[in-house]
Amino acid sequence: MSEVRMSAELRTEFGKGAARRTRRAGKVPAVLYGHGEDPRHIALPARELGLALRSGANVLLRVELIGGTELAVPKDIQRDPLRRTVDHVDLLLVRRGEKIAVEVPLTLTGEAPTTTLVDQQQMTLSVEAEATSIPPGFEISVEGLDVGRSVTAGEVVLPAGVTLLADSELVIVQGLASPTAAEIEAAVEGEPAEAAAEGAAAAASGEGSGAGSSGEGA
Amino acid sequence: MLMPRRVRHRKQHHPPRRGVAKGGTSVTFGEYGIQALEHAYVTNRQIESARIAMTRHIRRGGKVWINIYPDRPLTKKPAETRMGSGKGSPEWWVANVKPGRVMFELSGVAEPVAAEALRRAMHKLPMKCRFVKRETGE
Repeated sequence: MSEVRMSAELRTEFGKGAARRTRRAGKVPAVLYGHGEDPRHIALPARELGLALRSGANVLLRVELIGGTELAVPKDIQRDPLRRTVDHVDLLLVRRGEKIAVEVPLTLTGEAPTTTLVDQQQMTLSVEAEATSIPPGFEISVEGLDVGRSVTAGEVVLPAGVTLLADSELVIVQGLASPTAAEIEAAVEGEPAEAAAEGAAAAASGEGSGAGSSGEGA
Repeated sequence: MLMPRRVRHRKQHHPPRRGVAKGGTSVTFGEYGIQALEHAYVTNRQIESARIAMTRHIRRGGKVWINIYPDRPLTKKPAETRMGSGKGSPEWWVANVKPGRVMFELSGVAEPVAAEALRRAMHKLPMKCRFVKRETGE
């Protein structure tokens, strides 16, 4: 994975007011820590950081600070829930050749049979890899995945130098029986009637004991 | 229809319609979702209606998650009643939804099918919403 160079400046004021001023200035507040060193509070350019993170959450960053450069990978990314802009990022210091634990995204490929409902239970896989060669993602084929079959973490083909940290029996994707159109229709028609009966029963019980200070559901 | 089986208090104050969602702002269980962009009280009837719209469209396959629960009662006084004489009777069960909240999730279908199913569901909801996809690796 290639490095993304980024100039950073040290932050001298803290708190939400200062963080908001930093964001208004087109920067993202960040913290850089690791290797037992004291954490350093920095500000990164928002646009460059956003573009770098678009290439993957495990992108290797070369952070240029006054007095030297540091290699780091994002450890945690906080985003605005509506605008999806980066609010804050935690960066973990790494060295060349150092192995780190990372969550690598999983993508499904292929077409499962029409009778199978593909249930992906894990979206990322925890692995240990060299900081400078973190795989961008793993592909898992669901071609011919029958009902009752599953793909476990142990079955994922890992590149050389990457070791699995997750339990090898961890189910990543499984094939469930796909509900038929008739079953879906029955569920759509059946549930309101069932729920109405339930609601009526609840209302009746609520009326019965509702006179006291601890009334029940309507 | 979704509603609590037992509650401690039958009548509550109106829940606040301000602020943004603290959690549940990303697609967690499925691949696609509906995210609220405004505040609203979503009733259990609206939730059920959206679920039915979605389920009818996907026809076969697919799994649906409902991430909100209507656990707040709203009361209403009968029509043509003078003010006073106590609080009205419980009329609706609502979920207090804030902007950013992912309310429904869907997986197991192709993206165009999911987008159309969720678009139909959005028409049953009382606020502006958008279609969102899972963000990988975050």
